[in-house]
Amino acid sequence: MNTLDFPQLASAADIKAGFEQHGYICSDEIATAVFLACQLRKPILVEGPPGVGKTELAKTTAKLLELPLIRLQCYEGLDEAKALYEWKYGKQLLYTQVLKEKLGDLLQGAKGLAESVDRLHHFGDIFYSEDFLEPRPLLKAMHESEGSILLIDEVDKSDYEFESLLLEILSDYQVSIPEIGTVKAKSSPVVFLTSNNTRDISDALKRRCLHLYIPFPTTDLEERIVRSRVPDVDEGLREQIVAFVHSLRQLDLKKAPAISETIDWARSLLLLHAEQLDEDTVRSTLNVLLKFQDDIEATEPELRSLLNPPRSGVASGA
Amino acid sequence: MPSRLVSFINVLRSHDVRISPAETLDAVQVITTLGYEDRNQLRSGLSLALAKTAEEKVTFHRCFDQFFSYQLPQSIEQQATEQEAANSEGDAIPGADPSDLEAAEAALQQMDGEGGETRLDLEGELASDPELAGQLDVPIMDMLRNDDRNSLALAIARAGDEVGLPEIQMFTQKGQFTRRILDELGEGHIRSAIVDLENRGSDALGELQAYRDRLRELVRDHVEREYLLHAQGRNQQFMDDVLAKARLSHIEHHYLHRVQDLVRRMAKKLAARHSRRRKVTRRGQLNMAKTLRRGIAHEGVLFNLYWKSTRKQRPQILAVCDVSGSVSAYAKFLLMFLYSLYDVLPRVRSFAFSNRLGEVSELFAQHPVEKAVELVNWQYGGATDYGSSLMDFAQLALDDIDSQTTVIILGDARNNNGDPRLDVMQSIYARSKQVIWLNPESRALWGSGDSEMPRYLSCCHFAAECSSLAHLERIVDRLLRSSS
Repeated sequence: MNTLDFPQLASAADIKAGFEQHGYICSDEIATAVFLACQLRKPILVEGPPGVGKTELAKTTAKLLELPLIRLQCYEGLDEAKALYEWKYGKQLLYTQVLKEKLGDLLQGAKGLAESVDRLHHFGDIFYSEDFLEPRPLLKAMHESEGSILLIDEVDKSDYEFESLLLEILSDYQVSIPEIGTVKAKSSPVVFLTSNNTRDISDALKRRCLHLYIPFPTTDLEERIVRSRVPDVDEGLREQIVAFVHSLRQLDLKKAPAISETIDWARSLLLLHAEQLDEDTVRSTLNVLLKFQDDIEATEPELRSLLNPPRSGVASGA
Repeated sequence: MPSRLVSFINVLRSHDVRISPAETLDAVQVITTLGYEDRNQLRSGLSLALAKTAEEKVTFHRCFDQFFSYQLPQSIEQQATEQEAANSEGDAIPGADPSDLEAAEAALQQMDGEGGETRLDLEGELASDPELAGQLDVPIMDMLRNDDRNSLALAIARAGDEVGLPEIQMFTQKGQFTRRILDELGEGHIRSAIVDLENRGSDALGELQAYRDRLRELVRDHVEREYLLHAQGRNQQFMDDVLAKARLSHIEHHYLHRVQDLVRRMAKKLAARHSRRRKVTRRGQLNMAKTLRRGIAHEGVLFNLYWKSTRKQRPQILAVCDVSGSVSAYAKFLLMFLYSLYDVLPRVRSFAFSNRLGEVSELFAQHPVEKAVELVNWQYGGATDYGSSLMDFAQLALDDIDSQTTVIILGDARNNNGDPRLDVMQSIYARSKQVIWLNPESRALWGSGDSEMPRYLSCCHFAAECSSLAHLERIVDRLLRSSS
């Protein structure tokens, strides 16, 4: 199997630095995972709470390696006709019409039925051939000759049957089409699968993948992420934002705010020209961070104590 | 390294991390790609290949730190590799826990402080007495005297492997293994030399004893570490096995929480297998592909239309549990199982009865397991009356029973000589997909005394003895397989 010879992939540290240039700040573990996935040609299954940058990881890898990103969004009921391939039925119908017209020419001079059938057999049959194949994302990724990044997003949303469909692709980088045969990848893609853990992924699938778990980031990492994504927010506010979000994550919420929410919040505060966090600002922008009314209601009474942790000297009041 | 890796993987497996041979090969590839230079990188690299859930990652990191902390202490890694190169036996990586080393060092300094002279005594003794020197001419003695910790740790680790220390299972074996390792190391020589010196009343006695004690301490620590690493997980598995096979009424109260865990895991496993078969129905969508393909036979005229449809299979489960006094010990577990099943299967309805019957699905939904079980027992416990309970059941649920429904009855069928109401049972039998009766009594007792089991058998698709978790799992597995 051919390997990707990218200078960006020389080591995990290079990948990390490369990611940072593209605005994706990651931990060593994530960089190691991408490094190994590219070196060992193994798919990565990325799990973690929503909004920690699972999909973004695949996108950034595509940018870094300058490869096309092919994305397959999974949902309940996704089947091979939408994921793998579909026949171009309309064209197939037209083809049979054309064939019918040619039939006279073909069978001209044939003596008896046996000879006609014989001639028919020798006539090249392209009814089921690549010409009439409509490639869907998975097959498209097999066709990319320069290699590609294949992102199979939220694989936990798909049915169990669909997982079995993926097994062949993930272990051998090939797909079987009953009417044609096996299509092997021209250049094996780098595959990312993401899952939000709404159900357990089957062992067979997990076995074929490297398994990366992305947790909520540390304060340090998150501050760097905010700095890279929202550079205009000044130092003090950034620290406050991250500290507040971290303390929110300690509460029992239906959905704890993730990195994407932190970034959105930082942007909103920037638009509102907030210089520092105070109760009113937080109260009016809380819906950016928390997506359930219950969570907002549970948090509001706590705001004061969350904003004024014992050691920090944030003055409250507008 | 591979054999070290394999034993590391064994440790992981004993801590409930499931690792297939294919994943082991992946781990080898990871190691060859990453190399040993960066310990943290190796750690996260291996965790990618070996631990496949968030919980497993936690276990992995704990085991990795335990296993390699003394295998690869940073300070002597270099020496270790050199030594490894020198030794043809390439797999054992020596080393010692830094904290141990510090302790030993302190002890040694103390010894030096007290007995700077006695050290000379031993030297002198050895010089003057060739016989004693011959006796103490074992490698381990040199290491002790030169305070060569790396060699000591290496020798101990190797002796440990020699006597099969990784196989240690019970804490009672610790002494035995310590002894065997000491023998393997040639501690016997030191011992007899001590006896000699004692007889002679030599001044060097104290020093030699200190050496011996230090050796014993090191070996004991090593055994303790290995025990923690290898045996703990294994003991847990052993416990789980025992609990699964024990009769439910015999399980001690203080193991209840482990059983609860076990029950939940079982129910989850079954539910996972089960939900795989559920399919979604899409009505009213034209299956264009099939219609066109079939139309080709009619010269492309779309003669027959085909609609998209997938069979919808959502079996409903109704579970009826006897909570009367005669089966109370079992009922607790059966209710617990129902509770867990309710957690993972969406369409389970549960009922409890002794002399009357009521639906307890609500209780299960609202309360944590202990509370729910207690409430059910309190509300429905009492003397058994199958007849009226079945009547209640029919009234509550008979209309909902259809060809997709499985009815599970958990009880001993001891009806206190009342009317068994077989007619109600028969109507349930006729309407449902299957009726399963799980009886905690062994088959031989069915029909004895006031047991109505043989008569109820005529209305069951399947009846079985169910008195241990292993039984329960086998039966429910069967149930799910046939119900979908």
